[in-house]
Amino acid sequence: MAEINTYEKEAEEMTRMTVITDKDKFERTNGGFVNLTKDGILFERVKVVRLFPFTDADKYISIRENSAKAKEIGIIEDLGALDENTQEILREQLRLNYFTPVIEKIYNIKDEYGYAYFHVLTDKGECKFAINMASNAVTKLSDSRLIIMDLDENRFEIRDVNALTQKERRKLDLFL
Amino acid sequence: MILKYDISPKILEKIPLSNDERLYYAIPYDIDGDGAWIKGAYLLVTTKNIHIFDGEIIKETIEIKDLSHAKAEAKVGGGILVVTKDGEDKVLVHYSARHLSRYAYIARGINILISGRFEEAESNEYEKMCPKCGRAIPGTKYCPKCSKEGGFLKEFIGLAKPYKKDFFGVFVLMVLVAITTLLNPEIQKHLINDVLKGNGGFKKAMVFLAIMFSLSVAIVIINYLKSNASTKLGAKISADLRMKLFKKYQALPLSFINDRRPGELLNRITQDTTAIREFLEDVFCNLFAVLFIFIWDIIFMMVLNFKLAILTFITVPLVVVLIVAFRKAVYRIFHLQFRKNDDVSSDLQDVISGMRVVKTYGREEEEANRFKRLSGEFARTQRRNETFWAIFYPMISFLMGMGAVIVVYFGGLDVFAGKMSAGELYQFIAYTTLLFQYINWMSWLPRELTVLTSSIERINDILNQEIEEKDPDTMKDIEIEGEITFNHATFGYKSYEPVLENINVVVNKGEMIGIVGASGTGKSTLINLLMGLYQVDDGRLLIDNTDIKDINSKSFHSQLGVVLQETFLFSGTILDNIRFSKPDATYEEIVKAAKTANAHDFICNTPDGYNTYVGEKGYTLSGGERQRIAIARAILTNPRLLILDEATASLDTENEFMIQKALERLTEGKTTFAIAHRLSTLRKADRIMVIDGHNIAEIGTHEELLAKKGMYYNLYKAQIG
Repeated sequence: MAEINTYEKEAEEMTRMTVITDKDKFERTNGGFVNLTKDGILFERVKVVRLFPFTDADKYISIRENSAKAKEIGIIEDLGALDENTQEILREQLRLNYFTPVIEKIYNIKDEYGYAYFHVLTDKGECKFAINMASNAVTKLSDSRLIIMDLDENRFEIRDVNALTQKERRKLDLFL
Repeated sequence: MILKYDISPKILEKIPLSNDERLYYAIPYDIDGDGAWIKGAYLLVTTKNIHIFDGEIIKETIEIKDLSHAKAEAKVGGGILVVTKDGEDKVLVHYSARHLSRYAYIARGINILISGRFEEAESNEYEKMCPKCGRAIPGTKYCPKCSKEGGFLKEFIGLAKPYKKDFFGVFVLMVLVAITTLLNPEIQKHLINDVLKGNGGFKKAMVFLAIMFSLSVAIVIINYLKSNASTKLGAKISADLRMKLFKKYQALPLSFINDRRPGELLNRITQDTTAIREFLEDVFCNLFAVLFIFIWDIIFMMVLNFKLAILTFITVPLVVVLIVAFRKAVYRIFHLQFRKNDDVSSDLQDVISGMRVVKTYGREEEEANRFKRLSGEFARTQRRNETFWAIFYPMISFLMGMGAVIVVYFGGLDVFAGKMSAGELYQFIAYTTLLFQYINWMSWLPRELTVLTSSIERINDILNQEIEEKDPDTMKDIEIEGEITFNHATFGYKSYEPVLENINVVVNKGEMIGIVGASGTGKSTLINLLMGLYQVDDGRLLIDNTDIKDINSKSFHSQLGVVLQETFLFSGTILDNIRFSKPDATYEEIVKAAKTANAHDFICNTPDGYNTYVGEKGYTLSGGERQRIAIARAILTNPRLLILDEATASLDTENEFMIQKALERLTEGKTTFAIAHRLSTLRKADRIMVIDGHNIAEIGTHEELLAKKGMYYNLYKAQIG
């Protein structure tokens, strides 16, 4: 066939697994984004996407084109294996793309007529938020790991419920 | 939604405004460069500049005239505001999901300024948290706690006003209940003092017994009348409210309905009106009686024995604390049990509905183990709770009885000392029991009131919703010819996500337009606009050169025929469902329409012909049959404008062919918009429109688009091979 259909091409391309190596160069733009040069081709403002944000946040990071289709350029298998400078550039992008504070300490949970008001310390600092107790605000990732979604659809993570103090767990119990 | 927060003057004086410069927007951002929370950081937008403040320090100032575009990009758990300067994208601020939609409006506002216009962007969305008290707002415009602390009574009275007479009846009965309840111990005192201790004789005793008997009977009768009256009143008010809400829902624009979760609107009709009914039945009917009894109870106790009364009152706070603490503990443990129960049932549901998958992968054992664990946990919690209940409930009852013990002890001493008669002591004990009974009742009151306030607030939020009243004089009834013009039409369901941008196309009378494109590109949205379910945000949509906004919607919809991918049949007969579009259609018209839709034959084969009951609990029709009923429904009105949204997508080949034939008869000579994934169904289309990237990517005849070798060409090749 002389002309290969673009959809066929696309379907083929989707199966390809490209790994990003040290040879590929990431550069921070002045605007705070990142460009990638791979095999002599410059990709501007690439997207940095976590494939396993909960189970392994630093492994398997997909670098994608900045277009509506967001085609994959390649995958970084382990962010930690890249050189320091590149790591910092990419981590900055990840910080912009993902905001899921991890709750480290529960100061207080007050429930008032269908809403629960949390006052917590997270890895991003102290904060207060509210959840609707009637909706499924709490998702269990595993027996001890939780994601709490507040009214504004911010997501808060509790990595290990068992690591909290007895007192904190008692406060939380009502929502588990 | 607030787009201009109050900013401290110290910040404002750092950005002196030039002559014609105005401050338009001032909103916080809450994440700093290291991805941590920050407070007191603001983004200020004037008509000329964007200033980014961290506290009182200006971090950056950007002139709007240097920018070409602004965009609020939604990310996971937050978003960033990006501007384009000299062709390069630049991050301005990072914010959490709390400000996601706020920044969408800001981006829109900045884009307006970039384009050289000076309109201020506004937002009709509600705040989710009260900016004053920090409490969650239950889906209403104002915080029920803050905005109307005093106004609540007014709202309740407003609600109750039309039912004045019924309320008055309940009120009178309440007062009667109170009087009879309080009278009983008084009579009993006389019985003890005058008859039993004194020398009243048999006759006097019978008189007192008769009075006591008639009082008891009176209490039963009055209580019966009272509950009867208040139940009636509650049912009446909630039925009226339900009807009012239902009418309002139908009058409200779809965008209002879509802004809210579907369950929430349902709840307002079912749950919130029920909450009001329950309040009237369970709480209100006793409210005044209890208050009345309570106050007189206290007065009588003090008159009978002041010292003893004070002594009893001292134990009240203790009892209240106990009650509240016990209740909290009970709620807590039973809530846990409830959750565990929930886990068990949802796991069960999962496994049972996925049984085929579980079996095909041979995972029965793992699933059984998981279920065993969940079920075990539930059983453990249940056992623990029952133990708790068995131990603590008697203890609480005992402690609450302590008040009576104290009264008996000290009162007994007074009786022996001759300061009080035995009858009076008996009366006093009766009043003490009443007191504690009503304290228990009243401790529920704050909760009941809050439930009521939220319900009233939610109901009023809908009822007070202003509907853009269209002036009936300017609304036009038109005979649709069929020329459709999209003129710079822009639309999005959510503020921060435009679905269609700048659509420009003129469709001629009688033309059939095929619409293709990947899912989620806005094909159905385009059709929603055409059906008049939503209004364009920007630009215009013209039907025969008249803006759709100015067309009387009843006359417009009566000339519109719609067949969607999934046909919704109402519970009712086939006849009802076909007739839905034209209630006064004759049998002849209906049979004719069904024949044209190739539906007549299968209808004849159903047990009850056109009277066959379909819908949720009725006769099951196949997808193709439902579709043909929908087509018959559309044919019946002889529509001028036809809309087909993947009408044949979910059907097998034979069915598709039949329906295709039926549709061809239907669409002849009428302006038609047809969405299709299978391009073969569009072979009769005059022109094909390819939607991609919020826009019309390509438009032209089949041949033109093939020659162009663009998106349509590729789609076509992929399907035809």
